[in-house]
Amino acid sequence: MTPADIHLEQRDPESSSFRDPSGFLFTSGGVLYRQVNQSYRPDYDRLMESGLYERLVEQGLLVPHQEVDIEPYRAGLAYKVIQPQAVPFISYPYEWCFSQLQDAALATLQIQKTALEHGMALKDSSAYNIQFFQGRLCLIDTLSFEVYQEGRPWTAYRQFCQHFLAPLSLMAYRDVRLGQLLRTNIDGIPLDLAAGLLPFKARLSLPLFLHIYLHAASQKRYAGQRVDTARQVSSTAMKGLIDSLEAGVRGLKWSPAGTAWGDYYEEHNYTQRGIEHKKALVQEFLEAIRPENVWDLGANTGFFSRLASDQGIPTLAFDVDPGAVEKNYRECRAQNEKNLLPLLMDLTNPSPDLGWHHQERRSLLRRGPAGALLALALVHHLAIANNVPLDRLADFFKDLGRWLIIEFVPKSDSQVQKLLAAREDIFGDYAVEPFEQAFSRCFTIHRREEISDSERILYLMERKD
Amino acid sequence: MNLIVTVFLPLLTAIFAGPLLKGKAYLDPGSGSFILQILIATLVGGLFILKTFWQRVQTFFRSLFSRNKDDQEE
Repeated sequence: MTPADIHLEQRDPESSSFRDPSGFLFTSGGVLYRQVNQSYRPDYDRLMESGLYERLVEQGLLVPHQEVDIEPYRAGLAYKVIQPQAVPFISYPYEWCFSQLQDAALATLQIQKTALEHGMALKDSSAYNIQFFQGRLCLIDTLSFEVYQEGRPWTAYRQFCQHFLAPLSLMAYRDVRLGQLLRTNIDGIPLDLAAGLLPFKARLSLPLFLHIYLHAASQKRYAGQRVDTARQVSSTAMKGLIDSLEAGVRGLKWSPAGTAWGDYYEEHNYTQRGIEHKKALVQEFLEAIRPENVWDLGANTGFFSRLASDQGIPTLAFDVDPGAVEKNYRECRAQNEKNLLPLLMDLTNPSPDLGWHHQERRSLLRRGPAGALLALALVHHLAIANNVPLDRLADFFKDLGRWLIIEFVPKSDSQVQKLLAAREDIFGDYAVEPFEQAFSRCFTIHRREEISDSERILYLMERKD
Repeated sequence: MNLIVTVFLPLLTAIFAGPLLKGKAYLDPGSGSFILQILIATLVGGLFILKTFWQRVQTFFRSLFSRNKDDQEE
């Protein structure tokens, strides 16, 4: 393809890439490129020539890119166009469990330390710049570096505290669900809010005292004021600052013990034969359809997700329970699993379009559709616990993916009986026939298998186009 | 905390008053966040030097003992 051919194709700027004048992302012919502007030339050249780029790519901490010869999106501003390696699924910090956010924080600090060794520094430390990719954490914004000026404080310090330290400390000290404050505060949790919500004992941690409490007090004291200071931050003090932040992040602990779903697999009502049959069927369906990726909805700790990811299929394991996602992530990390990414998602209120013009952070739906969906032991939670009619469930799944492996759990099942224990049964339509009718509107049912030793049925369906 | 805001921070600022280094950053670093770093620079820098020194001492003794051990094994 010549530059002229590419010029004829559809070209769009990426909606989330507009704040930094150093450059921006755009797509051309379905491929993602990054324009590097002339104003960023000295920093880009330093990144590439100082050995920093090579070192970070070698460590898997920076997305690799190639300089390409295509016409820039805004030629008047352009220095170069680069093509970063594609990251297939962009996830957001409010979809990460505690350890994912903690690992992203540590990766950011590691990148900053490596950058300082090469005479550069991170000029931003947005959690959105870190992505999980093939089992690693990786900075996806190549233009995040600037030439380090000895003496200058760290520009990205406030952003680091808001994006990482504040949510992590709230999750560790108060409640893990407070990580969801990242969804309403798109530039991280304001430090005065974090300081107000944290319990008194958090002040006993020196890093939290300095970087959250004192930081919030300093912001309040100097808000909007022009204060000149001659004392500078020496390179040793800068290393000390990063070290102190790292100690703060490492010192935070959260363990999933005692959450609602953590021990679900031990509690389910399958016999060993039943679970083996279900496993064999899911495996058989996946082998028959060979999807390019799988989204496991309501994945718990990822037992069934691994049937897909172990076949080499890139798989996302969504669950609403922070404990289940945490356990799943720790397992992925321990086993160095490259094809599985656990994420936190409430399917009754999935991630919406957020940020400027509703276009900065994409909804779950806009990041799809998936090649195949797994919806195992899920339908009763959505249909009964959340009162979603079956035809609306079918509509949702139709928008989310092409293939659907779905399990129907009848009303007589003890798990459904638990959901109905304290409420009136208003679900007259919740039965196999209405279920099949509702889903047949949008899907072709290819397979229907009764699971051994249970009343549950597993289906393989394909979306009607 | 009020004591810090009303006494400690203004006092330190008064001691270290002078021109602020300007950069071309696109991100607003925040006046309070910039100043705090300058104020705690000596503390975090000092702690870092101590930590690095302590790690060197540990490494030195570890290598000393492991060498002795090696000698004994020989």
